[in-house]
Amino acid sequence: MMSTARHSPLRSLAAHGILLGYTLIALFPVFVIVVNSFKNRRAIFADPLALPSAETFDLVGYKTVLAQGDFLQYFLNSMTVTVASLFFVLLFGAMAAFALSEYRFRGNLLMGLYLALGIMIPIRLGTVAILQLMVASGLVNTLTALILVYTAQGLPLAVFILSEFMRGVSADLKDAGRIDGLSEYRIFFRLVLPLVRPAMATVAVFTMIPIWNDLWFPLILAPSEATKTITLGSQVFIGQFVTNWNAVLAALGLAIVPVLVLYLIFSRQLIRGITAGAVK
Amino acid sequence: MAQRKQIRWHIAVFLAPAVLVYTAIMIVPLFGTLNLSLFNLDQGNRVFVGLRNFATLFGDPRWSDAFWNALGNNAWFFVIHMLVQNPIGVLLAALLSSPRLRGAAFYRTAIFIPTILSFVIVGFVWKLILSPIWGIAPGMLDAVGLKALFAPWLGKEEYALTTLALVSVWQFVGIPMMLIYAALLSIPDEVIEAAEMDGVTGWAQFWKIKLPLILPSIGIISVLTFVGNFNAFDLIYVTQGALAGPNFATDILGTFLYRTFFGFQLQIGDPHMGATIATAMFGIILLGVCFYLFAIQTRLRRYQF
Amino acid sequence: MGALTLTQVTKSFGRTDVIKGVDLHVDDGEFCVFVGPSGCGKSTLLRMIAGLEDVTSGDVAVDGTRINDLAPAKREIAMVFQSYALYPHLTVRDNMGLALKQAGVPKPQIAQATDRAGAMLALDALMERRPAELSGGQRQRVAIGRAIVRTPKLFLFDEPLSNLDAALRVQTRIEIAKLHRDLGATMIYVTHDQVEAMTLADKIVVLRAGRVEQVGRPMDLYNDPDNTFVAGFIGSPQMNFLKSGKLGLSSETLGIRPEHLSLDHGASMEPGRIPGRVSHVEKLGGETLVYVHTEDHGLLTVRLFGEQDYAVDEAVGMRLDPTRVFHFDAEGKRLR
Repeated sequence: MMSTARHSPLRSLAAHGILLGYTLIALFPVFVIVVNSFKNRRAIFADPLALPSAETFDLVGYKTVLAQGDFLQYFLNSMTVTVASLFFVLLFGAMAAFALSEYRFRGNLLMGLYLALGIMIPIRLGTVAILQLMVASGLVNTLTALILVYTAQGLPLAVFILSEFMRGVSADLKDAGRIDGLSEYRIFFRLVLPLVRPAMATVAVFTMIPIWNDLWFPLILAPSEATKTITLGSQVFIGQFVTNWNAVLAALGLAIVPVLVLYLIFSRQLIRGITAGAVK
Repeated sequence: MAQRKQIRWHIAVFLAPAVLVYTAIMIVPLFGTLNLSLFNLDQGNRVFVGLRNFATLFGDPRWSDAFWNALGNNAWFFVIHMLVQNPIGVLLAALLSSPRLRGAAFYRTAIFIPTILSFVIVGFVWKLILSPIWGIAPGMLDAVGLKALFAPWLGKEEYALTTLALVSVWQFVGIPMMLIYAALLSIPDEVIEAAEMDGVTGWAQFWKIKLPLILPSIGIISVLTFVGNFNAFDLIYVTQGALAGPNFATDILGTFLYRTFFGFQLQIGDPHMGATIATAMFGIILLGVCFYLFAIQTRLRRYQF
Repeated sequence: MGALTLTQVTKSFGRTDVIKGVDLHVDDGEFCVFVGPSGCGKSTLLRMIAGLEDVTSGDVAVDGTRINDLAPAKREIAMVFQSYALYPHLTVRDNMGLALKQAGVPKPQIAQATDRAGAMLALDALMERRPAELSGGQRQRVAIGRAIVRTPKLFLFDEPLSNLDAALRVQTRIEIAKLHRDLGATMIYVTHDQVEAMTLADKIVVLRAGRVEQVGRPMDLYNDPDNTFVAGFIGSPQMNFLKSGKLGLSSETLGIRPEHLSLDHGASMEPGRIPGRVSHVEKLGGETLVYVHTEDHGLLTVRLFGEQDYAVDEAVGMRLDPTRVFHFDAEGKRLR
């Protein structure tokens, strides 16, 4: 029997044991925060691992947070910056990747290397000059500054991954399009883009997470109240309320929950995107 | 291509937006920073000082002590990642990719969750959990009878950096796991079945068949880890502040750069020395990447399936 | 209408010359097959006719009009690709209709054209499916349908059967031949399989290393090859090449097809009999292939009709049919 030949129940049990153990380690801190953010101050300290009960349930932390910071504004700022950057990274990145993978022209290889440089060299090292540039162009404390920086930051990896995938798109298919009279632009938008959607998902994940979570550029380029991102906003808030445990826990809970919900909704696509290169 | 004779404008159109944004926002400022490191202020005027800033950074004790401290800490931070994060990532990926494992999707989803959380969340979550005031960590150690082992790890000079490195490992282990998992899935079933027929099974199969085939992925993960680590800032800043306490025990190049450039408390911001540090970091990362490209990648074989 | 003329056509990629001056005329309605080993430039030549590769020098003309600088879509050609190249996100009907839609043909006419092509290829029931829901043979027929719908001057086929299994390949080959009879259109067909070339072509063009070795009707190439390359490439199993000197003849090489050698048992040394030892026997039922090792000429193949009894290692002798031998000079050129 196949199953006994290749799969011993003991090994499968051990595998589950290890994976389950690590899953607990991964989820435990999230669990602790979310659970305690719904408890009153005394219960937080008395029994940190207990679920909130009728008598310990308390929303005082969330009330403090919502009364204090302008979290909705921060959240919208983060959304705007992330979505806009993602859009430009995917569009510009895919266009450049198509040019590099589809056409033979002088300087093709050099252009590819030039764009790939940014994968290895972090954009943060240029912060000093970026700040001067943004000051000079009056973009400090605007979301535009962040979108520009994140677009530039995301492009190298996007071009790299997408051009690898685009090389895999059947040359016959593009030629069939040319014979059918499609322009180069339509070949790109109508034939190639739909086919590299899994790769676009991969790029989207790798681009989105660091943008949403970045603290460095919001802190330096756009720290004003109107342009704070949720990451910077919660950092500042927590710094101010460091001894108010209810408020800190609630702020953390508020920061975790939206991302977590989004992640759980999209996790199948996310993971398929990451493993897309393998599962053809 | 169709019309070779005419100028193919569409190539330029496809390339232009990416190249323009990338050049203007990334490359030009990067070289601007490198350039800035060659200047300093002399009685309020910017003057060209050549490599003197670097001499100051590496040689003048007021600067060099902090620099070498940050560099050493950064190296240790990287070592912990290589020794802990990547082996755990490989182990988890290997387990996940075992055929007919039930609930693989659940494990994958759950283990990747820390990676999507921001540094702010991760930093404070662990700060609270490890806090002696709250007592989750000592309480749990007590439950297994190891309470004596507890110490306020983030507050002790000798433990703080290692603790933060492990927190960072906790956060990012999902990335090597996913990349290795993808690499393992791309090994054709026929190869694995041939190994089964040849009697190479279980761990031997992993060591002798799968590991050699995923080495290129491990190489890429290592260099990504290197770049990420020598560019890290957020986690330290969030948990320990810009002063990277206790007593600079957790100061790495990123926090050192931030403090130097923007100033902190009594220290005044210095763009020229900031640029000098950024340039030094650029050099270190470039060295590491070149080492990988020339010394390691050329020896790793890629296999076509 | 669709006569194709190539005049001194060349193609270079950088410093590598892939096509080294090809002259060719294909008549309207003719089925022309480009055949040759891989890397001979046959696909490149086809893509140059399609306009997918630019022509380095020389002229490509259809019906006397030079089309070198015309975009592929403007050349009134249709192409069937090796990998079918169906648009994965479009239905069978939309795949076939895209070119017409792109050319601004009114919808009812497109529907009419796709329906007709669908009926011709027995795809009626599959018109609303997507390529992923079709079998390999069905995809192949959609690819052909996409070509038919355009009513082109020229049909181009780039190894269209190489992704099909053996049984389907024979069946599709017959369908393509039938299609050619029904449409009467000019077709250019690229393959490395000489059986496809022999069975489909009105005219075969044998290519090697970017040059035309010989052009002719299938039986002309078989019965009257110009050189050892064509002689060896056309016909299966391959022609035997013997050293003329060892047989007391003045040419350099003597060629004879396996079916024109006769074989008998025994080791006797008679004049005109080439002795050897059987090294391998393949019995195919309808015919028997005997591989004989000889001192003077190496391994020779003999093709015998029906089932024959020869044992490995047995001593045998062969005789040539003198009316069926070809003589070649030292460069491999035919001596007539």
